[in-house]
Amino acid sequence: MSLVSGPGRGGQFQGQLPNELNLVIEKHVEYIQDLGTRQDELEYWLTEHLRLNGVYWGLTALHLLGRPDGLPRDATIDFVLSCQHENGGFGAAPGHDPHMLYTVSAIQILATVHALDALEADGRGGKEKVVQYIAGLQSHSTGSFAGDEWGEYDTRFLYGAFNALSLLRSLHAVDVAKAVSHIEACANFDGGYGISPGAESHSGQIFTCVGALAIAGRLDLVDKDRLGAWLSERQLSDGGLNGRPEKLEDVCYSWWVLSSLSMINRLHWIDGEKLTKFILNCQDQEKGGIADRPGDAVDVFHTHFGIAGLSLLGFPGLKPIDAV
Amino acid sequence: MSTHGVPRVSGEPPKSEQDRAKEARKIREYKSLIDAVQNDDLTNETLTLTSRLLTWNPEYYSIWNVRRRIVCHLLKEMTTSTQAEGPSTYRSDTSTEALSDLISNDLKFQLPLLRKFPKCYWIWNYRLWLLEGPSGTLPKTNQQRLWEQELSLAGKMLSLDSRNFNGWGYRRKVIAALERLSNGSDDHEQWLTESEFEYTTKMINTNLSNFSAWHNRSVLIPRLLNERRADRQARKKMLEEELELLQRALWAGDNDSSLWFYHQNLMCTFDPQYAARSMAPDLSHHERQTYVKAEIEKVHEMLEGAEDCKWIYQSLIQLNMLHKNLSGDTCHAIGQIIQWVETLNKIDPLRSGRWNDLLQKLRPQ
Repeated sequence: MSLVSGPGRGGQFQGQLPNELNLVIEKHVEYIQDLGTRQDELEYWLTEHLRLNGVYWGLTALHLLGRPDGLPRDATIDFVLSCQHENGGFGAAPGHDPHMLYTVSAIQILATVHALDALEADGRGGKEKVVQYIAGLQSHSTGSFAGDEWGEYDTRFLYGAFNALSLLRSLHAVDVAKAVSHIEACANFDGGYGISPGAESHSGQIFTCVGALAIAGRLDLVDKDRLGAWLSERQLSDGGLNGRPEKLEDVCYSWWVLSSLSMINRLHWIDGEKLTKFILNCQDQEKGGIADRPGDAVDVFHTHFGIAGLSLLGFPGLKPIDAV
Repeated sequence: MSTHGVPRVSGEPPKSEQDRAKEARKIREYKSLIDAVQNDDLTNETLTLTSRLLTWNPEYYSIWNVRRRIVCHLLKEMTTSTQAEGPSTYRSDTSTEALSDLISNDLKFQLPLLRKFPKCYWIWNYRLWLLEGPSGTLPKTNQQRLWEQELSLAGKMLSLDSRNFNGWGYRRKVIAALERLSNGSDDHEQWLTESEFEYTTKMINTNLSNFSAWHNRSVLIPRLLNERRADRQARKKMLEEELELLQRALWAGDNDSSLWFYHQNLMCTFDPQYAARSMAPDLSHHERQTYVKAEIEKVHEMLEGAEDCKWIYQSLIQLNMLHKNLSGDTCHAIGQIIQWVETLNKIDPLRSGRWNDLLQKLRPQ
């Protein structure tokens, strides 16, 4: 799976067929399937540090597009396992250091293709080893999670830990209450959450905090009307969503903002039709793939988040996605 | 992500044979550099190779980790060679100098990378690790000097992009480190909250729309007042100064959402649900009511000539609802509030789902 951007660009046909915008499902499927064949491009190698995330994004997009068999299952499982380290954690690709971000992608991929059992194979230590790796990254003093042994703390890793552990049915292995109180400490008066206590609210961090609270069954702690209002103000006049006040719109926020709204039952607080048009406008209709905004290069990250956003909006022809 | 906001023209003209060969050569060069770095030799030579590789690709997180391992190893070597010279709990001058050089060279190496990739988490994290870990064994004055340099770096980065949240987060960490250093030994406590508060004023004066600065301000003010051991009067004075500053800003830009979010933040001071965490938690019920009433009048005045400004209606609705709750008067201005929501439904159709929910809540069943 390559994370090479392009070759296409999103939305080069603005104003020409605004009413006939369709989701070019087959093109996107081909675009994703071809990503693995682009090893003759330098950027394929320059983005190796995201490979496992890339497989997750591509695979999930294919599932939503109704093509769960779009990537070879056995090869996918083999690749995931080749990224695992002795301590149970996963790196981005073979030879890359273990980190929470890739460990979560690994577990998500294995869960998606119903292959969590593969962890139990020959001397890998089973799922227990992965659970230990993740649990070992929790701070006893704050409840927050580090990304790896070098100790960077961020609510992204807390959500990742909760997500992977819940897929492994092992949330009990960590101090959930302490982690929840850490999230509470990240809350701001605008109803949003930041990357750490005292930090500005940010849509991506809001997704991680609300998602973690949803997994912990503590959505009662969210100031839903305030947060819903803040999130709904992310929609700009072209239908796209931004991540913070007075910033540019970007397809990936279709996911962070939308899923957060959905978790607090306020998906209808933005204009879904206009957002749908915005996302469709970011497609490369000819070669497949979705960009961050019309005119920019497409990539698998935005392709995944665009399609996931459309799925949450109930776009016809897509499989429904879970907001958490 | 590597392709955020990249207007790319790639794929348009097909690559020539020459271009392909050039790209293949680059790939070989890149891969052999990776092989050379991963040689398990924790030496200065490998450190130089990691610099080359990271300059090419600063997102390669595992290479930052190789660098960490080398720095730790060199640090250990320096310590052992010093101990051989004689037992001492302090670092010798030569070892301090060597370590200082190692760290400041490393910090210097990252500067052009930060400028080029200001949103790359891995660079910021490595930098912080270097300062919090290895540099922690230097004498305190050396550490202080390093962190002071970092404060000016944070300032420079924020002057290039005043909303860079990596930059703001880094700044808060630098401040915490400087305070930790100066408050470690004696009981004379020194905080940097005052100067940070002034910094947000400066940033706001440069650009009113800087919500990151407004946000940091809202976090700093309660701390500042606690450090000043401010009494009720002093807290009210600060509150009134903030209200005035914001009012002036709002007249200049009534469509700027940053300002309205800061306004909402200040209004929390009068809301029993949020007041405890605000800058003036001990206002009386009556005082809260009086402030809210005055605020309603001020915002209402802004409406004239700005009848299409959705933020004014939103604020009026929030303020009147708050006033209704504070006064216990259930029918207070309810008809007027409903009218404003109906106006919002017309001028802000993107959020009509939200306005309809609100209407349903307000209208008697």
